[in-house]
Amino acid sequence: MKYLSKKIVTLIMTLFVVSAAAFIAFQIIPGDVVTSILGTEATPEREAQLREELGLNDPPVARYFRWAGGVLMGDLGISYRYAKNMNEMMPVAELIGDKLPVTLSLAAISLVLIVAVSIPLGVLWARSRNKVLDAALGVITQTTMAIPSFFLGIIVTYLFGMVFKCFVPGGYVSYEKDIKGFLFYLLFPALAIALPKAAMTARFLRGSLLTELRADYVRTARSKGCGERRVMYGHVLRNAMMPVITFLGMIIAEIVAGSIVVEQVFSLPGIGRLLISSISTRDLPVVEILILYITFVVIFVYFLVDILYRVVDPRISGK
Amino acid sequence: MVTIEDLSVNFGSTEAVRHVNLEIQGGEILGVVGESGSGKSVTALTLMGLVSEEATVTSGRILFDDAVLQEAGKPRDKALYRRYQGERMSMVFQEPMTSLNPTQRVGRQVEEMLRLHSMPAYSEEGAPGRGTAAEPSSPAEPKGRAAGGRQQRQAMKQLVLETFAAVGLREPERVYGCYPHQLSGGMRQRVMIAMAIILHPRLIVADEPTTALDVTVQNQIMDLLREINEKRHNAILFITHDLNLARRICHRIAVMKDGRVVETGTPEEIFEHPREEYTRNLIEAVPSRMKRRTKRGGGGQICPEPVVTVRDLQVYYREGGNSLFSRGKKNHVVRDAGFEIRKGEILGLVGESGCGKTSLSKAILGMNRDITGEIRHYSTRPQMIFQDPYSSLNPSKTVGWLLEEPLRARGKLEPERAMSAADMRCAAMEMLGTVGLSEAYYDRRPSQLSGGQRQRISIGQALITRPGLVIADEPVSALDVTIQAQIMELMRRLQEEMGLAYLFISHDINVIYQMSDRIMVMKEGKILEIGETEEVFAHPREEYTRQLLRES
Repeated sequence: MKYLSKKIVTLIMTLFVVSAAAFIAFQIIPGDVVTSILGTEATPEREAQLREELGLNDPPVARYFRWAGGVLMGDLGISYRYAKNMNEMMPVAELIGDKLPVTLSLAAISLVLIVAVSIPLGVLWARSRNKVLDAALGVITQTTMAIPSFFLGIIVTYLFGMVFKCFVPGGYVSYEKDIKGFLFYLLFPALAIALPKAAMTARFLRGSLLTELRADYVRTARSKGCGERRVMYGHVLRNAMMPVITFLGMIIAEIVAGSIVVEQVFSLPGIGRLLISSISTRDLPVVEILILYITFVVIFVYFLVDILYRVVDPRISGK
Repeated sequence: MVTIEDLSVNFGSTEAVRHVNLEIQGGEILGVVGESGSGKSVTALTLMGLVSEEATVTSGRILFDDAVLQEAGKPRDKALYRRYQGERMSMVFQEPMTSLNPTQRVGRQVEEMLRLHSMPAYSEEGAPGRGTAAEPSSPAEPKGRAAGGRQQRQAMKQLVLETFAAVGLREPERVYGCYPHQLSGGMRQRVMIAMAIILHPRLIVADEPTTALDVTVQNQIMDLLREINEKRHNAILFITHDLNLARRICHRIAVMKDGRVVETGTPEEIFEHPREEYTRNLIEAVPSRMKRRTKRGGGGQICPEPVVTVRDLQVYYREGGNSLFSRGKKNHVVRDAGFEIRKGEILGLVGESGCGKTSLSKAILGMNRDITGEIRHYSTRPQMIFQDPYSSLNPSKTVGWLLEEPLRARGKLEPERAMSAADMRCAAMEMLGTVGLSEAYYDRRPSQLSGGQRQRISIGQALITRPGLVIADEPVSALDVTIQAQIMELMRRLQEEMGLAYLFISHDINVIYQMSDRIMVMKEGKILEIGETEEVFAHPREEYTRQLLRES
């Protein structure tokens, strides 16, 4: 319980610092939302009017606290740029609520792919006594890790979209219309995200397994008459997962925050693309909330990793 | 029962074991004694089929009841070995801290023995009789799980609990559900032994089973091994570097040196009439209270004036560390310490691990600031000699650099005493001579030195600034007996020549006896007793001191 409250206090403090930092950054970087909306041709009167409407004439500190107060009350603000219809601007909550399922589904599929590929691969690799297989896996994973994700995205599009015609490139299916089609479409961008990460995880797991295999308790297990399989699955794997869990945590935090490049390549309306376009149009309310979301996700994932640690390794919690 | 014939084992081009012949008869305890690198562990691991894959058997063979387990030129038959490992021969390792899987409850780990092999017929109800052959190759579905799995599991647990009780673990139920880190070193070693004996193997290989334990626990484990041997008639191959331990429990002893067995005989033969020079050296090197203490020469007189006085010293650790959220709770590790160390004397500090010896010495050095009370120094900065010469020297530096480092550090603190590079080089060269190494060692790195040589460098580092007080924290514990004797001799000579005072810390009361003028006994953070060496040994005042004396 004490542990939990500690975590929550840390979370709140971090969110506060990060949001303030983002706000300050927006004051410093050049570019103005008013010019961005009206263009350079607008009359000074129109500019002044819009400035008044958006509340930009107040001092920055007051604006920050007004915004922060709103967020605390559950009001995430209204976008400067996205219109809901002719008369209203889009509330940020609604805007993000639209995009979030896309990014989260993409992240979930990617994660499943990463785990499903990397763990068997890492175990196989660590157990392999075959020099050719060893070298081949080394080259393959290294190559996969080195390919930039936009390029991998293009390769996947080309291969599965143009050659095998598994999906229509750029033919994003909205989840509101066809959930099955939506998930199937996501499979391919998920592949582009998962491949390099899975290669990294497999390498990492292999290293960790090889280290653990030299541990004393492995010798004990062998002295009992454990076969290689039993040594691996009964003893080594769980201990070797510790560093891999941290690594997976980092990866999850990264992909849940939105894979900007892959969303762009596959024209997915996700969080990553929203962030980029909001920054370029100086849409502060949207950017602030997105940054809060990303911070929250990162901290929350690390919290989960921490919990998982305690489950896997009894030495951490038990005292 | 087990015959090792003309066994040689190579690691690459180095010969670890050369033409070893050993025979273990049913029910006997055979001791294999030797210093590190003598090939005793490699022999045992080869016998068990556990030696690493880089090792190759280049000559000879190993027989178990006339069945050939291993033969020169043939790869190790793992499937064959798995029928022997655990069931017919089992092993107890040196490091109880790391030899158990940290993420599995110990009960399950012991039970795994039963899962891998069929249950022995000895066990009371519920268990089926001993099967014809174990099936370790199919761990997923051990026999009998399908038929009455629950009953089977209950019987297994029952047998584990019985074995826990048999190895002297109180509260077997509780231990069963513990993870290794929740048990003390002695308890873990008992768990290891339970694991080794649960299937009633005919041979138990015990590789330095007590080396990592405190003396009192060491004795309990030795008694346990002897008792198991008497009750169950398992043969034991007992591997140790400690001749005295071997003498206490073995029926026969083989002495190994450089991969060869140099001498075999009963303990009486070995101790009373050692045939080999090496065996004689080994026996003599063991510090013992039987031998008279070498009296100090005329040079090093003890002056009544102190080099350090300690008064009302409390040392504590803050629990929870530097967290923003938790107020550190003070955890006392040393309480009400008060003593002085006089100029030119060796004060021995003895106590079991965790009694606060190291915390006390760190406080005196000023490395621990969480203290209350008074420590007053009358000499220049005290220096320290550490226990493990393998990890306490920076491996990326040369010996010369390491020796000069204390001089450089002093130069930074007291600019008026800073020395030129040439002067420091001279001092380092001179110090090499002082600790008995040639000047050629100046450019070497620690990895090129032996354990004893490294410890000489550590001593040189401590002495190069000419401190009045040196704190030596278990300086010989990581060394072989013959090297240990040399280092103790060196330390005593230097102490006399340089008029040093030592605070000499050891868990080995015999080493303390050899070295110290006065002795201080610590237990659970308290100083129980302090007095002249002879006085304390002849008339110990405290029960705990008596116990320590009895047990070593």
